[in-house]
Amino acid sequence: MAMASTVFKARKVVGGKARGPALVSREPVCFLGGVDTKTGLFTEKDHPLEGSNIAGKVLVFPIGKGSTGGAYLLYEMVLNGVAPVAIVNLKAEPITAVGCIVSEVPMVDQPDADLFEAIQTGDLVEVDADAGVVTVVGKGPDGI
Amino acid sequence: MRLSQEERQMLEGQRGPAFRKAMEILCRLGEIYGAERMVPVSSVHMPGSSVIVAGEAGTRFVEETAARGGVFGVYTTLNPAAGDLERWSTLGFPPDVMANQQRLTAAYRRMGAVACHTCTPYLLGQLPRLGEHVAWGESSAVAFANSVLGARTNREGGPSALASALTGCAPAYGLHLDENRRGQVLVRVGCELRTTTDYGRLGYLVGRECQDRIPVFTGIPASATLDELKMLGAALASSGSVALFHVAGVTPEALTAEAAFGGRGPEQSLDVTESDLAAGSASLNRARGEPLGLVAIGCPHASVQEIREVAARLKGSRLHDSLHLWVMTAGPTRQMADRMGYTQAITEAGGQVICDTCPILAPARALVERFGYRSVATNSAKLAHYAPGQWGLPVYFGDLEQCIRAAISGNWG
Repeated sequence: MAMASTVFKARKVVGGKARGPALVSREPVCFLGGVDTKTGLFTEKDHPLEGSNIAGKVLVFPIGKGSTGGAYLLYEMVLNGVAPVAIVNLKAEPITAVGCIVSEVPMVDQPDADLFEAIQTGDLVEVDADAGVVTVVGKGPDGI
Repeated sequence: MRLSQEERQMLEGQRGPAFRKAMEILCRLGEIYGAERMVPVSSVHMPGSSVIVAGEAGTRFVEETAARGGVFGVYTTLNPAAGDLERWSTLGFPPDVMANQQRLTAAYRRMGAVACHTCTPYLLGQLPRLGEHVAWGESSAVAFANSVLGARTNREGGPSALASALTGCAPAYGLHLDENRRGQVLVRVGCELRTTTDYGRLGYLVGRECQDRIPVFTGIPASATLDELKMLGAALASSGSVALFHVAGVTPEALTAEAAFGGRGPEQSLDVTESDLAAGSASLNRARGEPLGLVAIGCPHASVQEIREVAARLKGSRLHDSLHLWVMTAGPTRQMADRMGYTQAITEAGGQVICDTCPILAPARALVERFGYRSVATNSAKLAHYAPGQWGLPVYFGDLEQCIRAAISGNWG
């Protein structure tokens, strides 16, 4: 699987470094009514992530939406060990940002590459939020 | 960021660890969004007031803030809790969840919050004026405050609202600033909006298209009621993250559509027809033959007028005995409904007027297990959006009249 890795810049929202398999949604994400905080299972009906598990993933989506309760729910997922390890957005919406600040989940936004071209579900991704760098280390063979 | 002397002192810890942490959160947010300064806020509406949202992690966070000397500096109201604080036991809510809820409510109260536990604080006199800066959570209340009242708030999550309640300030970015309040998407409503639910249908359709952009509606009559605008905002903030909408001739920053766009043209225009409304919300009405379980009215919390309408529609009838009807509202609104005889009319028909909570912030899965519900029926686009995820049940979505008819007959349709 030695492939040339894709690297792109993004803006630091919340600092930190993390590595994990990517889980990509082209649709906005809300943690309330969208994710089971005990298991990390995504539950929103008809959402592209329905049935996926976000635990340990680098979660990639355009922007947060919906309930302002999402911030504490992310914090609860960290406590329960089922949170995403990092979040990559096109645009940081304040609820997601505050959730990441309190939970200390690394987060970046405003990528200088086409996010959904660069990262597919299952790719191994490294997020260095402090440096504002996202690296696709390896292309996933078979998704999650 | 440029901080005032008082703000700097809080950041440096001179008022103790709770205020230091609060200022840290607000400064981080300000840096992310390029705020140059803080703006004083006159009130806070607190998301994360239910343990279903706060969880153990959030509850501890709030408790620790109180234990470390946290005291709210501005008028702070609480969003719905996980259950009716007075009648949870007779209603069958789980004691373990409610014990945790008591912890969370107590911690907020200790810091000075008013434990009204409602998503419609503006119906209880939490009423910021045009141009007033506040820090509110609860997506539907944020939309209402910005749009209908013309107050200024970003969408605050639990930790940032808590921080603003302590410090009395919020980072000056986003909707606090004039230049970010101008309309972006023109929405021409070309059909009649007959019921409050139609306003929800419209909001749901437009929120999905706008995401976080600001719609400007034309074609909504000046006679639109508070309940209708409440429903519109709640739906806009469910399918999208709309925090501000303008309605030409109705909301205070939109005397005209041109004024709402602030001299720029719209970046996108949408025309909404009757068939768009129906198609746009078809995905909310997904139950197909499952027996009716819970019929839920009051998302956002019902006004006394809405409770009156439920009572009137139930008059002389009894609910089908296989289902439950919840009418959700704030405590003081229920008291008024009590005085007016509406509560009695609803309970005599077999329904419940429930305070402090709602089906989005209640322990839904435990209630499903206890009562064996197989579906949720509602007139609220917001609830219809969240119920499948929260309750794990299919949803019947229709006008109030259809919901009450179904609650009496036991059949949807």
